[in-house]
Amino acid sequence: MATSMLVQGVLLIFVWILAPGLLGVAFVGAIIFSTFTMGQRVLNEAAYIRIDHKANDLYLAGPMSPEAYFLGMSTGILVVYLAPVVALGALAAAVVHFTLAQGLLLIALASVVWVFSASVGYVFSTFFRDNRAIWAYSSLFFNVFGVLPPVFYPFGLFPTPLHPVALLMPPSGAAAIAQMSLGITHLTSGELALAVGGLVVETVFVFLFAIYWARRTVRAD
Amino acid sequence: MAAMQSEFPHVPTNGRALPAFLIVGWRWISRNPAVAITPVLLPFIFLYFLSLISPPSLLPLEVVGAMLFTMQNIGSWVLGDSAFWRIECSLQDMFVASPLSRIRYLFGIAISNLIAMLPALAILMGLLLWAGAREGTPLTPFAFLVLLACLGVLWVLFSAVGIGISSRIRTQREIWPIGNLTFTILGMLSPLYYPLSALPPLWQDAARFLPTTYAALLIQGALGITPASPAQMVFYAFLLVTCASVGLVIMLRLYRWGEA
Repeated sequence: MATSMLVQGVLLIFVWILAPGLLGVAFVGAIIFSTFTMGQRVLNEAAYIRIDHKANDLYLAGPMSPEAYFLGMSTGILVVYLAPVVALGALAAAVVHFTLAQGLLLIALASVVWVFSASVGYVFSTFFRDNRAIWAYSSLFFNVFGVLPPVFYPFGLFPTPLHPVALLMPPSGAAAIAQMSLGITHLTSGELALAVGGLVVETVFVFLFAIYWARRTVRAD
Repeated sequence: MAAMQSEFPHVPTNGRALPAFLIVGWRWISRNPAVAITPVLLPFIFLYFLSLISPPSLLPLEVVGAMLFTMQNIGSWVLGDSAFWRIECSLQDMFVASPLSRIRYLFGIAISNLIAMLPALAILMGLLLWAGAREGTPLTPFAFLVLLACLGVLWVLFSAVGIGISSRIRTQREIWPIGNLTFTILGMLSPLYYPLSALPPLWQDAARFLPTTYAALLIQGALGITPASPAQMVFYAFLLVTCASVGLVIMLRLYRWGEA
């Protein structure tokens, strides 16, 4: 559980020491990033169970459906790693002083990001053939898409020409919506529509694809 | 014994172990490009983030911090490799049965992982030259030598830390969390990406027990980022070597070889 908070911890320390005024933004970003990196855990776990334990075949040979396997694993990982996120949420509430609506919006955004990243993680896990390669690739993917775009820092600091790209990436799109609700960032109605639309459409698409992929990989085996 | 000698008359009793490990390192990154990219990218991601939230004058310090953090992370990779080879491949038993000593094995894995980190270090060195020239803290030959010496000390020390811890790990699933947790916490406790003076007093006291702190202070002093007199520099060097020696002794005692 402690390792799930490492990157967030490092970035929060950076902000706390070097720019304490941005601590509220960083906390909101840390919550969204935490649910995003649960996809990395799904990836690691699914690949490990399949490659190392060969238990994937055992589960799927049973009465369990492929999508139940994917959803069960994702939910199990959510349960395991939820406690540090709740602790982070409590710290964030102490720093940011959310209203109920803002808090609920943040929970909703983090949940959507979780569905997206768990689906991506499960699909990616099926591509690995070697346990040693998992860490390098998964850490690359989740850190690039979770730290480089404006998740831990204000959306306005991201280069303006790349704003649409950031809004279309689920972690930074969700963070931009959360920052807007807190009054930290201003989004035009077009930008808001892009962020919300991107988040919903991409998540629904990736989730449905993960279910399709789970069924397909069973048939391929 | 005589029968055994006649059965295996040409069993080599020595070999070029270190070049062999060097090739292992090269093969590892050439077959898995992400392995070479990840250590390059992670310090850059941190540097990018820091460049957004901190004053530009801190960039040379942050680049030096990224180099030290990268070198320290070799320990995590050494931990991963040695544990994987021992637990998954049962390869360590073969090395134990061979004439290879545990220290040469340690250096072998350390060299193979250094290869994977060299691209990251080379790019960061280029960035340091650029940032140092821009911020008025150029990389002089003296500073370059100090930087190399500090990186060398950390390479040996954290490789030993990695292999020492790895020899106590029992399952593959422990490798990644233990390695990540240990080396990230050690990296964050030391003032790598920020000046020591920016830390709260209690944290500063804790950081003074870590060799990486003195490596950072020594390089920052040599580059002129954090002013240090020659006497202070000698003192930092002394503390770096002392802390590293104590750490090495502890880790070599922790390091299980044949009895595991």
